[in-house]
Amino acid sequence: MSDERAERVLDASEAAALVRDGMVVGLSGFSYQNPPMALVREIIRRRVKGLTIVSGPTSGIETDLLIGAGCVRRAVTAGVAFEQVVPMAPAFRRAAERGEIEVWECDECLWHLALKAAAWGMPYLLWRGGVGTSIPELNPDLEEVQEGGRRYLKVPARPLDIVFLHAAEADRFGNVRAARQAYLGRSFCERALALACRGPVVASVERLVPDDETLGSPERTLVRGAFVVEAPWGAHPGGTSGRYAPDLEHYAEYAAAGEARRKGDPQPYQRYLERHVYGPEDHDGYLRTIGAGRLEALRLGAA
Amino acid sequence: MSGAGSGLGPLLACVLARELKDGEVVAFGLHAELLLAAALLAQKLHAPNLAIRHGLRVERGPEIGPAAWTDARRSHAHEGIEYLESHDAILDVANPASPMRFCDVFLVGGLQIDREGSTNLIGLKGRDGRMALRGPGSIGTTSIGTLARHVILFSPEHSRRRFVETVDYVSVPGWRRRAAAGLEGGPALCVTSIAVMDFAGGLMRLRSVHPHATADEVRRRTSFPLPPEGPVPVTLPPTAAERAALESIDPSGRLERMPIPAGGEAS
Repeated sequence: MSDERAERVLDASEAAALVRDGMVVGLSGFSYQNPPMALVREIIRRRVKGLTIVSGPTSGIETDLLIGAGCVRRAVTAGVAFEQVVPMAPAFRRAAERGEIEVWECDECLWHLALKAAAWGMPYLLWRGGVGTSIPELNPDLEEVQEGGRRYLKVPARPLDIVFLHAAEADRFGNVRAARQAYLGRSFCERALALACRGPVVASVERLVPDDETLGSPERTLVRGAFVVEAPWGAHPGGTSGRYAPDLEHYAEYAAAGEARRKGDPQPYQRYLERHVYGPEDHDGYLRTIGAGRLEALRLGAA
Repeated sequence: MSGAGSGLGPLLACVLARELKDGEVVAFGLHAELLLAAALLAQKLHAPNLAIRHGLRVERGPEIGPAAWTDARRSHAHEGIEYLESHDAILDVANPASPMRFCDVFLVGGLQIDREGSTNLIGLKGRDGRMALRGPGSIGTTSIGTLARHVILFSPEHSRRRFVETVDYVSVPGWRRRAAAGLEGGPALCVTSIAVMDFAGGLMRLRSVHPHATADEVRRRTSFPLPPEGPVPVTLPPTAAERAALESIDPSGRLERMPIPAGGEAS
């Protein structure tokens, strides 16, 4: 009926099918927190190629896995970190050192400014952080300019074709929400990415909630107008702020496989991809490779 | 050289805490328990109005402990949070006059640190001049390290590969590069597991050597000359007041057990 409000619910494969080869893809996440892994694995299963990934600004396994699976041509990120597990993200390091990906060298402020410029309809923004560093030398499109006797970096706008993020919950109309007790951070870069996007924004969430819950606490709504995909444990092995902790043991296994490949033995990484990405038909299948008991042990006390 | 239990955590926390001033805003990243300890220590001892920006949170934790996101069932970390940002608040570093500014003092490390205090997290060059080792990336360091009022370099590892004449790539510019780019000032201090360095005329010099190390050792583990000639003071060990404050912010002795190599990694 035309007078009914449209629902914006997709399943993971419908969401991943929105990605085409060569797109500029925004991915939200902060270190080990809230990476949209269920969607990332679904994108990899579709064997997409040539993506430009705008992630982070300090990103993690979502970026590393897409690179490791061969989906990425260019990474726009201030860092790919596996802090407290290994010093460096293995697939990012390997691909960058072999020249298989380009890296747009930036820091977190430059990353945000490129998105702000896109969000505000500006061709570029001027910024003083980064003058006197290697960043303008390493990026042909990031020149240093003089204005009023001072030097600035001219940060070009970075519009996105599509954005994927993960959050605690959403209603069926595309209001994406943080958990009540999200102490590491209520919001990360969801808004920054969504506002720079000229195409769809897709959020996987731990659960879909009735819309009267949204109306009672609008301060928890991070992004509106998104397509939403229900994917419990959808950030695993990452954590979801206020819901469950990251699975650092899984990160260590992944990192060991990636390090073996970087040093010349591709088998462990291929086994990882087969077991956790290509083997399972969908997200439920992935969760069976981890096991319910192990997942439950990650759940945070009060949610 | 022993790692775990070397007891260096408390000393390094004290050294850093002494540099944090009342009324300032100090910022550091998420996985930095030692820096959090230093900030809490300063707050307790001489800087009650120090604001601590730890990742996206401004917090006044009573004590260090496992981060809320790794083990919430035991952590009380959330009880001390007075302000929570989304990530683009990092851009607020550009107006240091605002009461909501991102920070005044920033603690930064690197794969390489050079004589003038430039840092590098981007990568290392091979013999052919191209990037041979890809680093993690500049993270938040470039803009904050350029625009914050005070930058303190912090590197537990003190080795010749870490402390080089000139960095291969620049994430945060040191004194000479800042002057050339029209930026004032430069990093004030550099703290490692064996020494404290400061800067004179834009070049690093030895200020004090930790009690377990010698000036010779520090110089041997540094790729550039470290003046001055002659005797160098010993870093003041934790005082009685500092030890008492440490006990209250770290009741279970986490700093003591922190794996910091006593001599820095092999050169």
